[in-house]
Amino acid sequence: MSTSGEEKFDKGGEQPSALSTSKRVFWRSLEQKQDPSYGAEDNSGSDVVKQTIAGDELFKLRRRNFLTLSGAMTALAGVEGCIRRPVENIMPYTDMPEYVNPGVPLHYATVMNRNGAALGLVVTAHEGRPTKIEGNPDHPASLGSTDLIAQASILDLYDPERVQKPLASKVSSTFADFDAFLTGKLGELSKKQGAGLRVLAQPSNSPSFLRMRKALLAKLPQARVHTYAPVNQSNARLGAKIAFGRSVATVNDFTAARVVLSLDSDFLMTEAGSVLASRQFAQARNLDSAAGDMNRLYVVEPALSVTGSNADHRLRVAAQDVVRYTRALAAELATQGIELGNAVGAVRGASSEGIPDTWIKAVAKDLVSSRGAVLIVAGSRQPPELHALVSLLNRALGASGRTVTYVEPLDADDGDNFADVRALSDDMAAGKVDTLVILGGNPVLDAPADLKFGAALSKVPTSIACSTYPDETADACSWVVPLAHELETWGDQQTAFGHYAVQQPLLAPLWGGRSELELLGQLASEPAWRGHEVVSATAEEHGIKGEIAWRTLLHRGVADTTFATVLGALSVDDRAVAQALQKAGDAPALGKGNLEVVFAPDNKLFDGRHANNNWLLELPDPITRITWDNVAMIAPTTARELGLKAGDMIRLTRGDASIDIAAWPQPGIANNTVSLSLGWGRKRAGKNGNGCGFDVYPLRSSTAPGFTAGVSLSKLDKKYKISQTQDHDQMRDTRVEKENRPLALDATLAQYKARPNFAEYKSPDPEGGPLWIGQDYTKGQQWGMVVDLNTCTGCNTCVIACQSENNVPVVGKEQVARGREMHWFRIDRYYVGENEDEPEVAFQPLGCQHCENAPCENVCPVAATSHSPEGLNDIAYNRCIGTRYCMNNCPYKVRRFNFLNFNLDIPETKQMQFNPNVTVRFRGVIEKCSYCVQRIQGAKIVAKQQGRREIKEGDLKSACQQACPAHAIAFGDLNDASSEVARWYKRDRNYALLADIGTRPRTRFLGKVRNPNPEMKS
Amino acid sequence: MSADKPIAEIGETPLVPAHVTAAYISDAVSGVTEQAAPIGWWIIFGTALLGLGILGVSVGYLFWNGIGSWGNDSPVAWAWDITNFVWWIGIGHAGTLISAVLFLFRQKWRTSVNRFAEAMTIFAVMCALLYPTIHVGRVWVLYWALPLPNQMAMWPNFKSPLLWDVFAVSTYFTVSLLFWYVGLLPDFATLRDRSKSLLRKKVYGAFALGWRGSNRHWRNYERAYLILAALSTPLVLSVHSVVSFDFATSVMPGWHTTIFPPYFVAGAVFSGFAMVSTLMIISRQVFNLKDLMTMKHLELMNKIMLVTGSLVGYAYSMEFFIAWYSGNAYERYVFINRATGPYWWAYWTMVTCNVLVPQVFWFKKFRTSIPVMFAVSILINIGMWFERFVIIVTSLHRDYLPSAWGMFSPTIVDVGCYVGSFGLFFTLFSLFIRWMPMIAMFEVKAALPGAQPSHHAHADDHADAAHAAHAEPAPAE
Repeated sequence: MSTSGEEKFDKGGEQPSALSTSKRVFWRSLEQKQDPSYGAEDNSGSDVVKQTIAGDELFKLRRRNFLTLSGAMTALAGVEGCIRRPVENIMPYTDMPEYVNPGVPLHYATVMNRNGAALGLVVTAHEGRPTKIEGNPDHPASLGSTDLIAQASILDLYDPERVQKPLASKVSSTFADFDAFLTGKLGELSKKQGAGLRVLAQPSNSPSFLRMRKALLAKLPQARVHTYAPVNQSNARLGAKIAFGRSVATVNDFTAARVVLSLDSDFLMTEAGSVLASRQFAQARNLDSAAGDMNRLYVVEPALSVTGSNADHRLRVAAQDVVRYTRALAAELATQGIELGNAVGAVRGASSEGIPDTWIKAVAKDLVSSRGAVLIVAGSRQPPELHALVSLLNRALGASGRTVTYVEPLDADDGDNFADVRALSDDMAAGKVDTLVILGGNPVLDAPADLKFGAALSKVPTSIACSTYPDETADACSWVVPLAHELETWGDQQTAFGHYAVQQPLLAPLWGGRSELELLGQLASEPAWRGHEVVSATAEEHGIKGEIAWRTLLHRGVADTTFATVLGALSVDDRAVAQALQKAGDAPALGKGNLEVVFAPDNKLFDGRHANNNWLLELPDPITRITWDNVAMIAPTTARELGLKAGDMIRLTRGDASIDIAAWPQPGIANNTVSLSLGWGRKRAGKNGNGCGFDVYPLRSSTAPGFTAGVSLSKLDKKYKISQTQDHDQMRDTRVEKENRPLALDATLAQYKARPNFAEYKSPDPEGGPLWIGQDYTKGQQWGMVVDLNTCTGCNTCVIACQSENNVPVVGKEQVARGREMHWFRIDRYYVGENEDEPEVAFQPLGCQHCENAPCENVCPVAATSHSPEGLNDIAYNRCIGTRYCMNNCPYKVRRFNFLNFNLDIPETKQMQFNPNVTVRFRGVIEKCSYCVQRIQGAKIVAKQQGRREIKEGDLKSACQQACPAHAIAFGDLNDASSEVARWYKRDRNYALLADIGTRPRTRFLGKVRNPNPEMKS
Repeated sequence: MSADKPIAEIGETPLVPAHVTAAYISDAVSGVTEQAAPIGWWIIFGTALLGLGILGVSVGYLFWNGIGSWGNDSPVAWAWDITNFVWWIGIGHAGTLISAVLFLFRQKWRTSVNRFAEAMTIFAVMCALLYPTIHVGRVWVLYWALPLPNQMAMWPNFKSPLLWDVFAVSTYFTVSLLFWYVGLLPDFATLRDRSKSLLRKKVYGAFALGWRGSNRHWRNYERAYLILAALSTPLVLSVHSVVSFDFATSVMPGWHTTIFPPYFVAGAVFSGFAMVSTLMIISRQVFNLKDLMTMKHLELMNKIMLVTGSLVGYAYSMEFFIAWYSGNAYERYVFINRATGPYWWAYWTMVTCNVLVPQVFWFKKFRTSIPVMFAVSILINIGMWFERFVIIVTSLHRDYLPSAWGMFSPTIVDVGCYVGSFGLFFTLFSLFIRWMPMIAMFEVKAALPGAQPSHHAHADDHADAAHAAHAEPAPAE
């Protein structure tokens, strides 16, 4: 029995698993596995089966039953002869696990670390298999929503390519061996007080983790813990140290901000806490009617981010010019009477070359006039002095205490990650490190290239990687310990505001495995190092004492009280800010020979840790709509100057480092800037992720990890094929843009107030009545959906949520290139405006529109798709013969066809992720958004059990609606006047897409409203 | 003067040269089935079998892997499959038109080509039916599209144009097959009577259904043939009208067009005649039947191609006019995109082959030149294939939402399924010309001078002699 076999399941369930690890096990969760006959081919011999059959009323043979059965069996035998069916065995439970009721899913509250921020989750499990991740409505950082990576992380759980067993020098080993080794090693180390022991951890919000870290350092004072993640908050921390002289955590509140200025901060997508930020931002942008008011977003950034595409005004500047812009703005603010103290001198004199005058004067005026209700945020890749200056400006503009709150950070020691990893790397190279333990992360891949981390690591005699995948780092280490998934292990997370939440496992590790927390506990020689014990001890420290309090915490997912110290009026050291600004100085101007490269966390893969996740790989990038690859994004103008076309291979060189990557002219990128996203081009990611895209880490140095100038570009004589889900033919037809088709409709706030129904006005219903009397939809429950284009940020979370809920297959890069992607829900991205370099962006999420007068229904020769009395456009997959006529006749092109058997090669473990309530479609049938009909039916069953005839508002959410961080989707019963969807239907911005065809779609959109500053017109 | 005589005064000439007698016809036509096949036949048959093999492999691959073996995608969910279907159906139009409509209008010149054209119809419709069969995602449940009683009490959707297709095409196929077979009876009897081996006698005897050529047989035959001709005539119009409903009743710009039924019928007749022409030119060469399929026949067919080609040209321009006149932005864009978008070459191939090329038939010199008409007939067939490709692919690939736009590119399996259908067609066709009377012997005999009973036998003898003198010599080639 392996050590991991003693994992505890869920609420303190104590039963050990009897399965030996020598047997191939796909999952191990529940007690039925104690049945030794499990997995044997002939189960009819099992007593359990016999009992079940004997106890079944049906099999008490009487004459009538006999006749019925023999008739049915004869008929079935005939059917059986026609169709090949796989042999499937149904395994009964030997001992019924607590709570499990077959067919009824269970939901568990847990928490996940997403990009350095805690995100509360509720995970659905069917018979012990987690199948779907949702946000925890009680958790203040989630409010019921998630981001797309949290949605997709359930697929990582079932990835068979994870490390399954400890590896000793790449040879399969056991936990027992590892534990023996570690005990011996720790014995050696403790003699030296831990000298030579280094731990490389990732930034953490986990109180338990930090407690164990403290315990380790107390036990082995000579040991050192380094903290590093390739995408981190170091610049903000360093900036705070300049501004406040101490480490603080910054908490933004977008709800109260009428004017938001983002200085290269992608707070809606890749920055920490994007879920909450999206919700708050959407709240401040929400318009119930034309009488309402909304916030205004200015974005200054080098590359078009999701946040930038939601901006009311967007300034395209090189990353190195963001500080210069901010200084110029600050100088103008000072001119307009904002008190900047000693910093005035440092901000004055900044060159405003290339920056439109309005961007300084009008923005400053807007900020000043909205004093107290403004929020300036700086991006994590921007240097500390910008963060310090922003703190100063926020203070001066009255934002602190209102839209910005400073809190005592959970981990005050988490300083400059890049300096920390450099220190480690230097020590390793110098031979000062005897034992290195890497707790998660993949530094061999993602540490700054100039550190040559891999080479330094090879000088370390004993290296232990706690790793999910046999990745680049695991390859280089002498020991590899399987890192269990967050749904498999105990842990805890605390939000910046101090909301304590427990990470509760839904199943024992599939292949065995430990958490970083447990390994850290082992290093600290903590006798009770098991995750459950560590976390419950931490919870006790948080005042959660006793079984009832503990269970309540698990049930709710988050503690009632908060544990953060709000730092009240912090004074900003303006002199230090001024010094920092002056020290930084100005960067030389960019040009063709001196290009700037900016590194962005990828919108999908983040820093590369999710690089083997098929859902994320195939998900189109929100902006470029590229799947399965990353590209070097270059402004169309610059690309033209350099003679580059989409897909041309280029070589980027900086010093002696260079990478080859495909070029991609992308609107919205600053001139002479190349935007690269991290995490791609992996060689050891796994079967799915290997070879997708291009690795850009080799260009990233520890001195300039965010962006760097001095890069030269040369064109290679090669083309690279890119697969997109939109613009398949890669041709922008300007004639269509001039036609101005009424698709993703938008207006400015002033236009909206002048004509509240602008959207319906542009997309009117057809004139003339119907040819025949239609179905009466005024009775019963009628399902409908409204998508608010105004608050939708285009983040793609809904797409993954839908994929996860509805078993949507992944088709691969070649099939995407052929236009055969299967996403039921997609987000269309349109560029608006004449200027190719500086377009405005409109997003339009699109699933089946459930037309009341559906063109797809009448053309199906076998009536496989038809309308339900509740207004759903249903498909009977089993009836579909696959003529694809419906697909042709759908004006929205939301119907998807299984051109091949896309579910053919799903590993068995990944099949466990499938939602059992949704059919897995075979090749040759059409599929599409069903409005989550399985959820509607599920809610009906619950309602019926409760003696209600109808589903109430709140019983039911569609997967996309539930996941949406911006709460931009309403779904429900249109005939229930109190429902949100019915209220949104009545809003003046409501319109139907392509209404003039007369399809009468059930899904409606609320027109997008932009809030430009009238004084910004240049 | 009897009605079947050519009217010399308006330039009509006899349909068959003077030296052709009833015996000559029987020998020439039956001889093809009685003697060893010429080397030309073996070449054609062998090539056709190879094509059939390609079809078998391609369809097998398609069934095994799914529709994704083709290049179809979203938004182009139909591509070569339906293009080929409509194309073959169109080719299958000439047979019925020549047989039934020309029969009703007493166009005697049809006699030497009608058998041929009918056979072509049958085989073309068989090729056409192949595509709706194999293009469905789950071919093993295709029968659900048929109105078969079942325990689910589930009927097909009678609102679907695809179902109308099923009825229209299967009716057409049934009636065409019957029409063809009824017309074959007297000739099967001739073959039976000429048989020297017992096997031939038995086989042809069985097919001849006991035909003895009695007066009653002839009376029944004439009546049955007339009724079938009357039944087939509306089918000429209805089949392709119904096929066009697949497109016309949809909401897709470029498809949603009221002009489609007549436009499709004209196009079908156009392509059907072109195909008959191609085949006739080949077989009169291979089997030396120039006396029976004369230049006159070919010239008349070329005139029909000129007419229908111009009708199709009218439809093309009318589509553009309506797209502009309707003021519908989507419709307009589809047509601009057809002519200037990424598939412009397909559109202009179509216009060149279908509208411009047939205009050479205004000139008698080209109308009676075998190389020219052969080239034109081939070009028309190419052009008509592109017409269907243009309608289907270019309309679908850029419709309402630019976000969903895409392109179509065929795969090797697409090509195999198309090329292979020629294999199927020519296999059947070469078997037909080898084993069946490819020219309606008794009908041609009836068109011989003096074949019809006359009350003025002596006067007619004189007239016949006069006509014989006027008659053109048989074409030299």
